[in-house]
Amino acid sequence: MSRDLVDISVKGERLGEFEEFTLLAVRALGDRTYAVPIQQYVENATARRVSVGAIYAALARLEQKGFLRSTMSEAVAQRGGKSKRVYSVTPSGLRTARDLHRVRDRIWSEIAAGGRS
Amino acid sequence: MSREPRLPWLARWLVRLSPVPRESRAEVQADLHELYVNRRRDRGPIHAWWRLGHDVASLWRQPRTIVDSRASPTKFAMLRDAGSDLRFAARLFARQPVVLALTVLGLSLGLGVATAAFGVINAATLRGEGLADPDRAPGVLRTTARSTSTTWTTDEFVQLRDGAARIALEAVLTENAATGQSPADAAAPSVGVAFVSGGFFAATGGRVMLGRPLVAADEQQTGTPAAVVSFVFWSARLHRDPAVIGRRIRIGRADATIVGVAERGFTLPHSRQIWMPLTAHGAVFGGASGRRAPAAGLQIFGRLLPDATLSDAQAQLTAVAAALPRSSGESALGVRLDSRAGLGRAPLSDTVAVTVFVFAVIVLVLVLACANVATALVSTAIAREREIGVRAALGASRARIVRQLVTESVALSTIAAAIGLLLAWWALPAIGAWIEAPAGSDLAPDGNVFLFLALVTTAAGVGAGLAPAWHGRGVDLATPLKGSDAHQDRVAPRRLRSALVMMQAAAAVMLIVTATLFVRASLRAAVIDVGFDADGLYAVSPGIGDPFDSTGDGADVLNFWARAVDELDTIPGIAATTLSQVTPFSGITMTSLTRDEPPRAIALHRTHANYFDAMGIRLLAGRTFTPDEVATGAPVALVSAALARAYWQDDSPLGKMLPPEIPLSTARPVVVGVVSDAITAALHERSPFALYEPLAPRDQRMSEMLIRVAPGSTGAIELAGERLRAIDPGADVAIASVASRLRGETGRPRTLALLTGGVGVIAIVLCVIGLYGLTASVVGQRTREMGVRIALGAAPRDLLRLLVLDSLRPVVIGLALGAGAALLAGRVAAATMLFGVSPRDPVAFAGASLLLLGAAALAVLLPIRRAAAIDAAVVLRRG
Repeated sequence: MSRDLVDISVKGERLGEFEEFTLLAVRALGDRTYAVPIQQYVENATARRVSVGAIYAALARLEQKGFLRSTMSEAVAQRGGKSKRVYSVTPSGLRTARDLHRVRDRIWSEIAAGGRS
Repeated sequence: MSREPRLPWLARWLVRLSPVPRESRAEVQADLHELYVNRRRDRGPIHAWWRLGHDVASLWRQPRTIVDSRASPTKFAMLRDAGSDLRFAARLFARQPVVLALTVLGLSLGLGVATAAFGVINAATLRGEGLADPDRAPGVLRTTARSTSTTWTTDEFVQLRDGAARIALEAVLTENAATGQSPADAAAPSVGVAFVSGGFFAATGGRVMLGRPLVAADEQQTGTPAAVVSFVFWSARLHRDPAVIGRRIRIGRADATIVGVAERGFTLPHSRQIWMPLTAHGAVFGGASGRRAPAAGLQIFGRLLPDATLSDAQAQLTAVAAALPRSSGESALGVRLDSRAGLGRAPLSDTVAVTVFVFAVIVLVLVLACANVATALVSTAIAREREIGVRAALGASRARIVRQLVTESVALSTIAAAIGLLLAWWALPAIGAWIEAPAGSDLAPDGNVFLFLALVTTAAGVGAGLAPAWHGRGVDLATPLKGSDAHQDRVAPRRLRSALVMMQAAAAVMLIVTATLFVRASLRAAVIDVGFDADGLYAVSPGIGDPFDSTGDGADVLNFWARAVDELDTIPGIAATTLSQVTPFSGITMTSLTRDEPPRAIALHRTHANYFDAMGIRLLAGRTFTPDEVATGAPVALVSAALARAYWQDDSPLGKMLPPEIPLSTARPVVVGVVSDAITAALHERSPFALYEPLAPRDQRMSEMLIRVAPGSTGAIELAGERLRAIDPGADVAIASVASRLRGETGRPRTLALLTGGVGVIAIVLCVIGLYGLTASVVGQRTREMGVRIALGAAPRDLLRLLVLDSLRPVVIGLALGAGAALLAGRVAAATMLFGVSPRDPVAFAGASLLLLGAAALAVLLPIRRAAAIDAAVVLRRG
């Protein structure tokens, strides 16, 4: 039962706050980045403690929604020869992030015009 | 060369356990390691560890993101769903802690009582006594042309054993003997002892947990006999001392050396606590007569040799038996092997009545507890109709919803079972004492009891969970979503819940009425005037001679009594002594049923003239026996006043023959005196009819002595005991207080009152819990209806009356049903245990009804008062 409920929220096309941070972090780190830098970036940017599991979850959801795409990288000596999954933002992800940003800007400017900020 | 990055092993192990798919594990581990190294560098190892723990835990918190949700369901999917069902149930319960606590309390009481009761039955009848492969251990019956018996003489046994070729024969004789730590231990309690032949343990399959079992060599050994003690004896009397082997204990009149402790569960035959060699019988009971086996009374059983059949062995043994010497007038001996007559196969008839009673209690209490949980769950399910509708709308199947409900109730009943087990553990010894379980029985719960609890818990959980599902059958699950109130007016669920409450009320009333009857009976029994003063009265049995030897002339007993009377006369503080064939409340009665309609039970006594003085029975008319009449056993008799009234009404019976309606085996005596009424046996019958005849010397062999100690004197009875034992060192003198026998007699209804009263209180608690839950939910559902009624002009008082009457209706119906059942139960109990309290006792019925109605009214009023205070406008607006 609870599974069905989760599936519904996953399939939505909207972006949650944490997903937005993650998406922007991938963009900010330059494409082809992986989970560890993303986690550190989000943690520093939000000044909140962020677990790596939460990052995995957000990355997987973003990928499912088509906002991110991932590929396996070449093996890197630094990680003991282990390869890593690297992420880049898709055009649709970029568009959604920008839409979100625009909406926020508009609201804030309206608030400013009303003299309530 | 770069060092392979490694996570701490604990973290690696946890990642393997986590829901991370196998193909992603290496990547996740590498990520975790990189983070760990960075943090250790920047913030130190403690911070790095702390964060690593969080990160690893977060892999569980977000499992769905890493597991591909489109993958096919694994075999663990069902378990995972059950897990989420449980979490949901926990959240649901957390919102209703009171309902949860009450339901669990009720169910744990029910399960606790049922488990305790089952534990008793298990110990009494189901567990068996540890006989291995009983089908190949038949009993050996002694047959002649006219009779079949289970006992053999020792000579016969020895010859049979030597001649048997296809079966290993063993003999056993059960006795009770006082067992203490030392010879001076005069207050040593009596325990069950089995005297067994050498191969007993091998043939029964009995094993020891310490030391060694008895073996054939023990039979021949002279000196201190060997003894094996049972697990119960070792636990209760020897404090589970591991160094007990080699210790000496006093059994009867012999010292014995403990050579082994039997395994738990081995108590063959009939809850034995000690096993000794057959040859120790003489030492234990004969004192000076030394080591010898008893002459007769042996029970023989055998263990078939591996390739032998029952008929083979029987044919071969019959040939051996035919050659045995026979007593005069007896036909040739035969042998019958009967596997149903083997050891440990005899039905314990005395426990059957208790078993039936206890099973009835189990069923009643379980029904109550389950009805209760079902009521609570049905009520909750109605309140959750909307939630269930949402689930159905989202695609949950009906089976999936039922599973959620069943998971919830199984979770509840499991919690309750744990508490119930604790209750049962605590209550079992107390119940054992109440029902007077034999001393050797082992009441501690074993595997059977745990299995029973598991089954009952599952059944209660599943059953109670299915009740709301049953109530929701055939309903369109989506209806509640449409905001329609139509479903709230359905009659069926309310009827189901009313039936459940009705059942609880009926059971509660029945139990409370029965308990009240028993309480009144025990009060009545305590003040029954038995017609004599039991305080300061003691009964003495001499314990002389071999109990199986009926050939002697009894001279040793007559001699003992003659010297006893002389000895006791010199002790200050002893007011009187007398001999009597039957002493009060000894458990042995001699009665004559008259040929009247209905027949009267007349207690027959054979006594001396000073019996009446010693007992404190007054002589109302005529005289007592003369010494000559006693010496010759003359046909004279005294009758009790009630007997005189019954047959001679107002006339004097003196000088008249006893009427022919009283059957007697001796010559019809002439009445020479009338004495006051006294009840000396079967307190519940309270029959005051008694006939006293002289105790002729030839009957003294079987008689006991009564000693009357003067009020205020101390130590007289202890001194008497010492003097009597000094008369004959071979005598096993036992002195019993008549007052304590009487207390034992009056105590029986008290124990039953405790048992039924305790269960009755539990039943009322369960009933009140169920009723409260039902009323609260019904009132909640009818809020809108109440709003409409108020809007149409109903006064709060009318609403109150309407709701109270509606809620109490099932209780009143249940009360009537329960009272009917109690009337039947009381009629059964009245026959043996009610001491003249009528089974239709108005006090009991009125009391139980008032108690239940009062409790029910309270349970109903609390939620209803809230409902009657509603604001119609608010309710209607909400609708």
